[in-house]
Amino acid sequence: MAPIEYFGYALFALLALLVLASVSAPFYRRKKASFVLGATLLASIALTASYLFASGSSFYLFNIFKIYQFSMLFAGLFSILLLLVMVLSYDAPSSFNSFFMMFGFAAIGIILVPMASSMVGLLLSLELASIPAIFMIAINGKRFIESSVKLLIMSGIAISILVFAMALIFPYDAQLSLVQVSAFGLIKGSYLVLLALVLFIGGLSIEAALFPFNLWVPDVYQGAPANMSAMLSGINKKIAFVALMEIVFTVFAAYSATYATLFMVLSILTMFFGNLAAMVQKNVKRLLAYSSISQAGYILVGFAAASQYGLEASIFQIITHSFMIIGAFAIIMLLENLGIRTIDEYRGMSSRNGYLALALSLLLLSMAGVPPLMGFTGKFLLFTSAIKSNLLALALIGILNSFISIYYYSKVIIVMYQPKREERLVIPKAVIAVISIALLVIVIFGVYPQPMISIAERAASALLGV
Amino acid sequence: MIQILFISFITIAIAIAANIVFGRRHSQHVSIAALLLVLIYISYSISAFASGGIALSESLPYISSLGVSLHFTLTPISIMLITMSLIVTLAAMVWQGFRSSNTHSMNSLLLLFELSAIGLFASANLFLFYIFWDVGVIAVFFIIRSFGSASRDVASKNFLIYSIFASALLLFAIMLIYFYTPVGSFNISYITAHSSEIPTAIQESIFMLMFMAFAIKMPIFPFHSWMPNAYSNAPTSGSVVLAGVLSKFGAYGMLVLFYMLPVAETLNEYIYAIAVISIFYAAFAAMKQNDLKKMAGYTSMVESGIILAGITALNYLGKYGSVYMMLAHGFTIALMFIAIGSIEFAYGTRSLSILRGAVSSAKSASYSFMFSIFGSTGMPLTAGFVAELMIFIGTASAFGLYGIIPLIGVILVGAYMYLAASRSIMSTKEKLQEVGIISKPQKAAMAIAIAAILFFGIFPFILLNLVRI
Repeated sequence: MAPIEYFGYALFALLALLVLASVSAPFYRRKKASFVLGATLLASIALTASYLFASGSSFYLFNIFKIYQFSMLFAGLFSILLLLVMVLSYDAPSSFNSFFMMFGFAAIGIILVPMASSMVGLLLSLELASIPAIFMIAINGKRFIESSVKLLIMSGIAISILVFAMALIFPYDAQLSLVQVSAFGLIKGSYLVLLALVLFIGGLSIEAALFPFNLWVPDVYQGAPANMSAMLSGINKKIAFVALMEIVFTVFAAYSATYATLFMVLSILTMFFGNLAAMVQKNVKRLLAYSSISQAGYILVGFAAASQYGLEASIFQIITHSFMIIGAFAIIMLLENLGIRTIDEYRGMSSRNGYLALALSLLLLSMAGVPPLMGFTGKFLLFTSAIKSNLLALALIGILNSFISIYYYSKVIIVMYQPKREERLVIPKAVIAVISIALLVIVIFGVYPQPMISIAERAASALLGV
Repeated sequence: MIQILFISFITIAIAIAANIVFGRRHSQHVSIAALLLVLIYISYSISAFASGGIALSESLPYISSLGVSLHFTLTPISIMLITMSLIVTLAAMVWQGFRSSNTHSMNSLLLLFELSAIGLFASANLFLFYIFWDVGVIAVFFIIRSFGSASRDVASKNFLIYSIFASALLLFAIMLIYFYTPVGSFNISYITAHSSEIPTAIQESIFMLMFMAFAIKMPIFPFHSWMPNAYSNAPTSGSVVLAGVLSKFGAYGMLVLFYMLPVAETLNEYIYAIAVISIFYAAFAAMKQNDLKKMAGYTSMVESGIILAGITALNYLGKYGSVYMMLAHGFTIALMFIAIGSIEFAYGTRSLSILRGAVSSAKSASYSFMFSIFGSTGMPLTAGFVAELMIFIGTASAFGLYGIIPLIGVILVGAYMYLAASRSIMSTKEKLQEVGIISKPQKAAMAIAIAAILFFGIFPFILLNLVRI
């Protein structure tokens, strides 16, 4: 065993410790202990993952998980994002210890999704990631039950569609291994396979909130507590994209023309639906839910390009959006606890707390794709990747959409800078930390995106095996 | 080789950081010092331009997968426009003085705007052009939004909507260019060299998209309706940079566009007609304004029309005449807005009908206003004279006698403004009671602008000699 492989096992040991920590959490009386434990473990996972990413090694663990640059990028990213969500949830109304019990399991599922290299591993980790989220919403109180039940039903449907799709693939590849199927090109030229492709896309579309399958999203995001909305849109949605990448770009590589068309249609519909619906929203949280749907549409532009370049752009945009949306939901959470929900109630935010107004403005401008923030770079990469794959129309529709979106983002910004005298607003330190990290990321990698782009590039080429 | 532009960016960035960190204390000193330093670098680059002591092209890797680098070129045109933007921003910054409680946020926005102006005028590829274009727009939006006068809500909203529309058109056009150039490229000189390979129909659509985007910013006749509101509701420093520098973003873009795509040679006559219509429309609109700032806005639109006319001539004199006009107009319109701001400060109103006899106590502001009218009419010894001379020789050689029509518009609006101002502001029959005394920084700002107008009017060869090399 090569020395570097010990780090792979160390990663799993850390995950196992996380299970242990989350199982024992309900027995602690004080929440500080489980918080410190969880934070240390997640930070160590992020460090190990980034070390493995930097080493550029590639090997299998237990035959169903693969350590390579693609999986390590997302393992590291998700553990950082989980850390941010955990910080946000520390002061949530629910008991942190019982929250942490679910959270640990969800974290393991989330981190395992990019590492899964077989259908079984993928299915199990997706399941593990989505089921605890239902309870994490429900434990906040009676009024959150509705939202959690909606999530339960939708996750159930998504998982059953995925299982059905895997069953259709099974005759072609009894091992269910993603790598072997793609390596030997075993699946080709059958309508059953096409049906499986469509079912995979459909099942994961529910989790990724793509157009015809996204009607649950605004209700659940609005109904859930804001820290959970941050987790659902910043992390849970992104793992669906990661799974989609793993399946579509490796197993169905021979069908690139088919899925490119499919993704193009989905992308256009999703962008228009998200943006047009967001324009009429009055509640800021609901507005962000629709905006996050439209962002899913942008991410799909890279899928439609069906090239390494497009994959790279999608990975970049996934990283960008997860930081933007978690930062934005952190602010929403704070304001929601004070009863500030609609756009009108945001009036005069700049005089109540200048930093908060500036931060939300920058995050929203980045979502709208205004340079020199990270959101602009991501969209620019996506649209040029579409152009490089000869999809000029898709690129132009994307640009049109990102300018439509400025309408509702700027509505919030303009309102915040209108004068209205009210008492000053104090931000808790935890929220300040989360907002500042998100801001730093989008500003630094917006002004100088090259490091992040080359990271995305390495992950993309690792996935495609180039 | 000294990389002047990178050093300038770093200087300004440090000044912005200092403003944010230290707040109101020393904000004015730090910001003015930063601008002066950059001005010194640029004047050094003027003297070293011929001898080659400076880097004419500065490049750093940026996004290698897109083929985009941080690539800036120092051309005579960019030197002229950067000089102008520095002096105008300096005047705007000096004008607002030391007293306001938000000096540091205003100064950081002005510095950010100046950063975007330098970047835009020197950018060698369309990607950077677009980025700096949007940064400039956002900075000005926040200047109007946070420091503007009573109806800044509507004004900033209009400004934002028009600007976003312009950005969208620009981004569309840039993407089309990227798609249709042989090896997808954003580099302006590469595109210019290979533009004949783009199909004519596509060239025309790119041209129309970019023309509309730049016409909104300049502004040119059918796309100007954001202008009166934004100019009149912005704070004085904001109006100064808005009319003085931001409108040059559009004009400079127009210049780049006309010399980038060969299709311009067939479309230039139509665009010239639009320019003439715009000049006369703005001239007549200026005549019925009572608000001094709106009047100044329409005069500035007249001169934007002249700049566009010079560009459409597509010859040597037209090109450099319009660049010199951008420089001259930057100074005169800055002076005009600064003078109006000071008059408003002194009497609390901008209404031409109320301001009878303003000269009785606010002498400096009133005389500066008169001087700015002369400057914009193109009086000899002002920078505008040189520019208009070059432009009209250029348009006359391109369009024959039709090339001189815009001159009528200029004289018309100049004569009207002179008469109107001399009857109300300069009237000696009435006396007006002042409510505020014009402070030293305000006078200094006017002095800066006047000095610039005269300096570049008396010594036009300092900058125009760069072109000959």
